[in-house]
Amino acid sequence: MAEELVTLTIDEQEVQVPKGTNLIEAAKQLGTEVPYYCYHPHLSVPGNCRMCQLEVEGAPKLMVGCHTQAQDGMKVRTQRTSQAVKDAQASTLEMILINHPLDCTVCDQAGHCKLQDYHYEYNAKPSRFLEQKEHKPKAVPLGETVMLDAERCIACTRCVRFCDEVTETGEIGLVNRGDRVTIAVKEGHELSNALSGTVVDLCPVGALTHKKWRFNTRIWYTKSTDAICPGCSTGCNVKVYERDGQVVQVKARLNEDVNKEWLCDEGRYGFGRFLPELRITEALTCESGQPVPCDYTEALKGLSSLSSPKTLVLLSPQLFVEEYALLTALKEKALANASFVVAYRERELSDVEKILVSPDYAANYKGALFAGLPEAADEKALEDKYTRALGQLKVGAFDQVLLLGDHALAPVDIDDKEIQEALGKAHTVGALSHLGSALLSSVDVVLPAQTILEQSGLLINRGDRLQYSSASVPAVKGALPIWRIIGDISKQLGSEIVSARSDRDLTLSYLGAEKRLEGLTIAQVKKGGVCIKTYSPQSAGADVKDPSDEVRA
Amino acid sequence: MAKHKQILLKNIREEGQHLLEKAESRGAYKVIRKALEMDPLKIIDEVKNSGLRGRGGAGFPTGLKWSFVPRDTGKPVYLINNADESEPGTFKDRLLLENDPHLVIEGMLCAAWALQSEWSCIYIRGEYAYPYTRVQAAIDECYEKGYLGENIFGTNFTHHMVVHRGAGAYICGEETALLNSLEGKKGQPRLKPPFPAVAGYYACPTVINNVESLSNIPFIIENGGEAYKSIGVENSAGTKLVSASGHINKPGIYEIEMGYPLMDFIEDECGGVRDGHNLLAVIPGGSSVPVMRAEECKGVNLDYDSMKNAGSSLGCAGFMVMDDSTDVVEAVLNLSHFYSHESCGQCTPCREGGHWIEKIFRRIAEGNGMPGDLKLIESLCNQIGGHTICAFGDTMVLPYRSFIQKFEKEFKERISNVLKGVEHERVPMDFQSELVSIGSAH
Repeated sequence: MAEELVTLTIDEQEVQVPKGTNLIEAAKQLGTEVPYYCYHPHLSVPGNCRMCQLEVEGAPKLMVGCHTQAQDGMKVRTQRTSQAVKDAQASTLEMILINHPLDCTVCDQAGHCKLQDYHYEYNAKPSRFLEQKEHKPKAVPLGETVMLDAERCIACTRCVRFCDEVTETGEIGLVNRGDRVTIAVKEGHELSNALSGTVVDLCPVGALTHKKWRFNTRIWYTKSTDAICPGCSTGCNVKVYERDGQVVQVKARLNEDVNKEWLCDEGRYGFGRFLPELRITEALTCESGQPVPCDYTEALKGLSSLSSPKTLVLLSPQLFVEEYALLTALKEKALANASFVVAYRERELSDVEKILVSPDYAANYKGALFAGLPEAADEKALEDKYTRALGQLKVGAFDQVLLLGDHALAPVDIDDKEIQEALGKAHTVGALSHLGSALLSSVDVVLPAQTILEQSGLLINRGDRLQYSSASVPAVKGALPIWRIIGDISKQLGSEIVSARSDRDLTLSYLGAEKRLEGLTIAQVKKGGVCIKTYSPQSAGADVKDPSDEVRA
Repeated sequence: MAKHKQILLKNIREEGQHLLEKAESRGAYKVIRKALEMDPLKIIDEVKNSGLRGRGGAGFPTGLKWSFVPRDTGKPVYLINNADESEPGTFKDRLLLENDPHLVIEGMLCAAWALQSEWSCIYIRGEYAYPYTRVQAAIDECYEKGYLGENIFGTNFTHHMVVHRGAGAYICGEETALLNSLEGKKGQPRLKPPFPAVAGYYACPTVINNVESLSNIPFIIENGGEAYKSIGVENSAGTKLVSASGHINKPGIYEIEMGYPLMDFIEDECGGVRDGHNLLAVIPGGSSVPVMRAEECKGVNLDYDSMKNAGSSLGCAGFMVMDDSTDVVEAVLNLSHFYSHESCGQCTPCREGGHWIEKIFRRIAEGNGMPGDLKLIESLCNQIGGHTICAFGDTMVLPYRSFIQKFEKEFKERISNVLKGVEHERVPMDFQSELVSIGSAH
C-alpha cells in the first residue's frame, strides 16, 4: 500500500511528507534544520527542551516541532521566516544556560556540544542572569562506564528514555523538581547494561561522559572518520576519533537500517582491541618459537608449498569483501586444492545484547559467503565447516596452513593447545599484526599485516547490507594491507591478481568488476549502505556521486 | 447579607453528615437511584444544559468535557475526581470531602453512570490526611451497603471507587500530571494531544473533574439543567464555593450565587477588611490569577465573564484579600517561591525561568534591587508564558506581571530606596523557618 502523503508549506516552500511525519522531519526534507535537544527519532517524544518551537498558522501559540504532525494545508514557519520562532529559540537558550556551569574550557563535550553550537547560531547574546547558579553533584559515577556532571545536564531525558524504552533496564531516572532536577541511578542499581555507553552519545551536552575517555583530548585535536564497527556482524555505523594513531573516542552514527544510533559497550570501549600496541612491522621467521626478522621477499619465497595438496587457508571473518573476492581468484588460479575456511563461531548473548549485538565476532562473514568463500548455505554450515576443519587440523590432515588476519582463529580457539601444536607441526604462514599474539609461537613465517582499522573497504553485515568502512587510524609503517599480501602470495604462486595501489583503487576495481553490484558507487554505499539482496542498478540513486568515486591518477 | 441558594453546603453543618445513615436520612443517594433509570446520554445533555463549568479553575463546560469521551472504543472509561486541591488560597474541596463525602460520592456515581464508567478514583492531596480518612470511611460504608461494587442499587451497573493519595506536588493537580502520578510515574504533565478524554489513564478514555463540579451533579439531575441554569448569571450558572482568606474579619468558605458583587462579598459575607485598615488588593481566583487593586474591584461581580472583563479570573475562587499593611514585594516573593518550588522541572522555560524570577524578587525584597529588574521580569514572563508544556507556566506569570504593573510604584520605590542607601525597615522572610513553625504548631 502506498504511503499517504500530506502537503504543507514550511517557510512558504511546499513539501510533501508521509502522514504522521513530525515538523522537524518535514523541515529536514527541505534542508531546514530545526534545532532540538530532547527529540530523538528513535525515542519517545517528551517535548521538554522547547528548542523546536515553530509557528503554525492558526495555532494560538508556538507549537513544538517534535510533537506536531504535518497536516494537509498546514502553514509552518521556522526561524528562517518567523521572528517569534527566533525569539523563542533565543529565549530557550538563555534559560537553558542560566544554571549551566559554562565550564567549556574543561568540558569534554566542548567542540561537539549542542549548547555551544546552538548558542552561537540561535542566540549569541550575553546572559542577563546575575544570580547565584544552582549547584549540583559533579563527577558522579552512574556505573562502570559513564560519569555524570549534574550541573551540565539540561534534563532532556534522552538517557532516561533510552534505558526505559530501548534496553528496558530502567536504571536511571530524574529526581527532584524544578531547577534542582537531577539524573540519578535508582537506589541499589548502577547503569550497567550492555549498551550503557550509548547514553553518552545521546547526551547533547557534556553531562554524561565516558569514564574511559574523560579528559583525554580536546575534540578539535582529533581526526574523525566514518567507520563500521568490526566487533560483530551487526555492522554498527560509528564515528572514530583518532589522535596520534590512537583511538580516543568512538561514537555511534545514525543509521535507521542498522544500529539506529546505538552502540554496544563491547564494541565501543573495546574498539582499541583492533589496534594492538605491539605491532609486527616486518616479516618474521620463527625458529624454535623465537620470531626473527627476515626479508619480506625472502619470506614470500617459502610459500610455494601452499599450492601442494593438504593446504588449509583459515580466513579471518574481518577481511573486506574485496579481499575475499581476491581470494576467490587466488583459489581458482593457484590454490585449487586448498580448503578455504572462515573462522566463524557463535556465542551466547544477554537479553540486552540481543537488541543490537550479533552472536559472533565475525564482522564480514557475509562478505566471505558473498564471494563464495567458502560455500555454505547458512551460519550453521559455516560454523560446522570451520569446526570440522579444526578437527582435521588437530589430527594432522593438513601439511600447510595459511592464516589470513589476526582473527583467522576464533577467540576461543586461539589458546587451544592442540591447535597450537597442530599448527606448529604444519608449515604455517600467517599474515598477522599483533606481536603479542598467542599464535606467533606456532607460525613459521609471519607477514606484517595492517589491522581492519587501518584499511578502508566494503563489509556486508548480518542483514545483507553492504557498507563502507573508512580507515580510522593511519597505518603503521611496515605493515601491509592484507589484499597486498594476498597479491604477493599470488604472484609468488605464479599469477598476478592485484593491480590496485590503494584501498580505494581496489574498492573501485572490485565494484567495477562485480556483476551483482553493477553501477554501484562508493558514495552510494557510504550513504547508509545498500542491501545486496534487493540491489539493482535501477533502484540505486545513480546520481549520488562524490569525488572518491574517481580513480586517482 | 444576600440569601444565596445553598446546593453544596446545604447539609454541611449538620451533625454526623459524613456518616451514611445520617446523610441518607437527609436525602443522600436518592438522586443516583433516579439517575440509574435515566439514559446516560440524557444525563450528559442535562449537564450540558445546566451550563455547569469546571470548578477546578479553568472553567471548561463539564457536560462538553463528558461528551468528548468516545463510547465505542472497547476500552474502559475512567472517572477521576481531582481532589488534589493545592492552589494557594483554596480550601473549598476539603470542606466537602470532610463534612459531606456522600454528596461527593453520589455526584461521582451519577457521572460514572453517565459516562458508563466502572471504575473511578478520588485523587486526594497527600496533606489532606483527615479528609482522606473521612472519604475512605464513607466509601467503605458504601461498599458495605452495596452502594458501590457489583450491581449497585439493584441494577446491573457495577462501579468501583478507590482513593489515591498524592505525595505533595502542586503540579499533580494538573490533570495529565495527575494521570502520570496515578500510573506510578513521576508527576509531570503530558504533551497534548492526545487529551485525557481520548487517551488518559493507561491510554483509556478518562474524565477528570473537580470535587466541587461533581458535587453539583446530583442537584442538576434532581432538578434538571434548567433549574441549575436559572441560578447565577449568563455563562456562569449555579453557585460557587469561595475560599475567603487574608485580612478580612470573617475568613471561611462561602457558597454564593454566581454574579454576586465582589465588594458586597467582602463587606457583607467576609465582614469587611480588618478594622483600621483599608483594602489594598484582592487575588480573586487562587494565586494563579492576576491581582486586582482595590479600585479595580468596584463594580465587578463574582462570575466568569465579569472577572474576565476586569482583567482577572474567577479561577477556583481562592479569594485572598490584602489590606494596606501588606508588603506587596514580600507577597509576590512568597508566590514566586511557591511556583519555583513547585515547578515540575520538565520543560526549560518554567524550570529555569521560574527560579530566575524568584531570585530577582528575592533580591529586590532583600534590598538588592537594581534598575532594569522589573523590565527583566516582564521579559522573562513573556519568555515563559505560552512556551511551556502545561498551563503552569502560563498561569505562573499572571500574578507576577500584574503585581509589577499594578504596584510599579511600590517596586520602584523599594529599588530606588536601596540605591539611595535608605535602609528599609523589614526583616527578610525566612521561608524555611516559616515552614518549621507551621509544622511544629500541629
